[in-house]
Amino acid sequence: MLKTEGLGYWYQDKDQPLFQGIDLEFDVGQSYAILGHSGSGKTTFLSLIAGLDKPKEGDIKLNDRSLKQIGLTNFRRHDVSIVFQAYNLFTYMSPLNNLLTAMAITDAAHAGDKAYARQVLNDLGIGADLAERNVQHLSGGQQQRVAIARTMCCDAKLVVADEPTGNLDEDNTKEVIQQFQKIAHEQGKCVIIVTHEPDVANQCDHQFRLENKQFVELA
Amino acid sequence: MNFFKRAWLNVWAKKGRSVLLILVSSAILMFVLAGLLIQSAAVKATSQAKADVGATVTLSANRQAAFKKMQSRTTSSKSSKMTLTPVKLSDAAKVAQLSNISGYNVTSSTSVNASSYDTVSMSTGMGSSTGGGPGGMKSSTSTGDTQIDGVTATSLTTAFSNKQSKITKGRGITAADKNTNNVVIEKDLASQNNLTVGDTLTVKEATGDKDKVKLKVVGIYKASSTSSSAASPMSTDPANTMYTSYTLANTFKGSKYAGTADSVTFNVSNPAKVSSVKTAGKKLINTSKYSLSTDDASYQTVKASMDNVEGFANKIVWLVAIAGTIILALIVILMIRERRFEIGVLLSLGEARWKVIAQFFTEMLMVIVVAVAIAGVGGKFVGNQLGSQLVSQSATTTQTTSSSTGQPGGGEPSGNGGSGMRGGNGGPGNTSQTTKQATDTKLEVTVSAVNLAELGGFGLAITFLSIMIASGGILRLEPKKVLIS
Repeated sequence: MLKTEGLGYWYQDKDQPLFQGIDLEFDVGQSYAILGHSGSGKTTFLSLIAGLDKPKEGDIKLNDRSLKQIGLTNFRRHDVSIVFQAYNLFTYMSPLNNLLTAMAITDAAHAGDKAYARQVLNDLGIGADLAERNVQHLSGGQQQRVAIARTMCCDAKLVVADEPTGNLDEDNTKEVIQQFQKIAHEQGKCVIIVTHEPDVANQCDHQFRLENKQFVELA
Repeated sequence: MNFFKRAWLNVWAKKGRSVLLILVSSAILMFVLAGLLIQSAAVKATSQAKADVGATVTLSANRQAAFKKMQSRTTSSKSSKMTLTPVKLSDAAKVAQLSNISGYNVTSSTSVNASSYDTVSMSTGMGSSTGGGPGGMKSSTSTGDTQIDGVTATSLTTAFSNKQSKITKGRGITAADKNTNNVVIEKDLASQNNLTVGDTLTVKEATGDKDKVKLKVVGIYKASSTSSSAASPMSTDPANTMYTSYTLANTFKGSKYAGTADSVTFNVSNPAKVSSVKTAGKKLINTSKYSLSTDDASYQTVKASMDNVEGFANKIVWLVAIAGTIILALIVILMIRERRFEIGVLLSLGEARWKVIAQFFTEMLMVIVVAVAIAGVGGKFVGNQLGSQLVSQSATTTQTTSSSTGQPGGGEPSGNGGSGMRGGNGGPGNTSQTTKQATDTKLEVTVSAVNLAELGGFGLAITFLSIMIASGGILRLEPKKVLIS
């Protein structure tokens, strides 16, 4: 589904790239973990495959179409959902309105369907009363579940998550990872999680470690 | 869900910020509206002044031409006299046909001697028989002790229209008094001689056969102290001035003056057209004998005052609009900086940048709509306060300017005063009168639908500009830097 071809990125000096010549392939219905120590470039890699930045070298292809052809804004709108460590919800809205907003912007099939959005939230443990409250009144775990619900409501086949459990306790971490597995296996999406936690990575179907500017698949 | 709904949710959720924005915008728009209101009120007041103040064109003998003629005669012969040609009423009738002439007043002045009554003596002790001031006709240089102002109607004279003189008993002279011996006398003269309306008095002609003529008192008027104090040292006491029909004044002057006048003052309905009336009038008269002079000082004073107010209001509108745009743009820039994460999330979801800008514009628009309503209520009050302050200030400025340029002062004939025997008495009185008119001109500040529409337009423009200035940040924002870095 998603392919990187000779992908490379550097900030100022081409001779000191974060990674270079990366050829990876990600498929739907699978979950992937990307590991690496701080500053190794894993988040930068995620920003490239999420269409938040352009690679300095190489190409990214979605179903054999280059992101350059698709256009980054279009790609973000229709093909990718992002979950952030800091949740990044609309703080002036309720969980329900957060979902409805995302569905409207991404032209999701269920756009405007409040009942569907409520059901998704409910499945993630956000009941009717919480669904109408301002998101700032929710706990960190609840907010992250709302962020995950947002990706579930949108029709994008690619879900990327940047340290989604970074701010969560053990129980919430387990629950969140389970949800990502559901998204991959039940909704048939491709889930790519950037994490530095081996426990989280171990629950994914595939693991890559970014070291010495290259990605190494772990057994 | 679209950017309209997001805008509404944001405005509603952040009530405190929205209220502050509404207050700031209201304050800005209130001053814009005040400026707009003063501007439109000044325009209205100027057009009202045109109708109220009025202007005149006076047809009289051409003194300058007569003087030149006299000078040329002096070189060729020993004796010479300046001869002024009385205005023929037939010529005046032609001028009266011009458009914008709403009416005219015929003035014929002379003097007679008291017979059955005693004249009022001047307190300065200069004597009572001093008639024949500057500007008089050849025939009216006779030295009677009573001034006769022959007019078409007293209400058309400057003294009465400016309320320097007013009828206290009976009535004034009207066109119906033509060819009668009716007279209006001054209050002091009446009380000194125990005369009242309906009584008769006898005068003796100062020229010709010096016949005695009986006059019937139909009204008593009171001359204001301004008139008295303004009288030149050479003039008789203003209390010895009687108003009659111009036909009677001509009778006193002699038979050859029938159908003539010293001057004819035409009222111009639209003071702005005074110059064109004068130009058109000159084509109808023999300019070597007659001259047409204009008097629109009152109108010009009020107009200058209102022009000042209008100009100042115009500056207020633009200054406040520019300052308001800058203030709102700065607020919006700060607001946008605070909301970088929100913008980043929107962009990460694939929202178009123009829609993000449109969301901010819609939010500001909601604020502006409420602010326009508040400004609509408060703007009238601010406009009233500011307007009355501006009018009084600009009237003072106009007075100072006209005083320093020496415009008034008696050189120009004003109404009937300048062309008669008491020529030039109107100067200082007119200055205070016109300044008073300028000060009295009230700005009627009312908020109309047009004003509110204009204000809405300004509000929209200010919002649009401030969002455009502030949206540079949105256009440059990289979601990766905000959300991941």
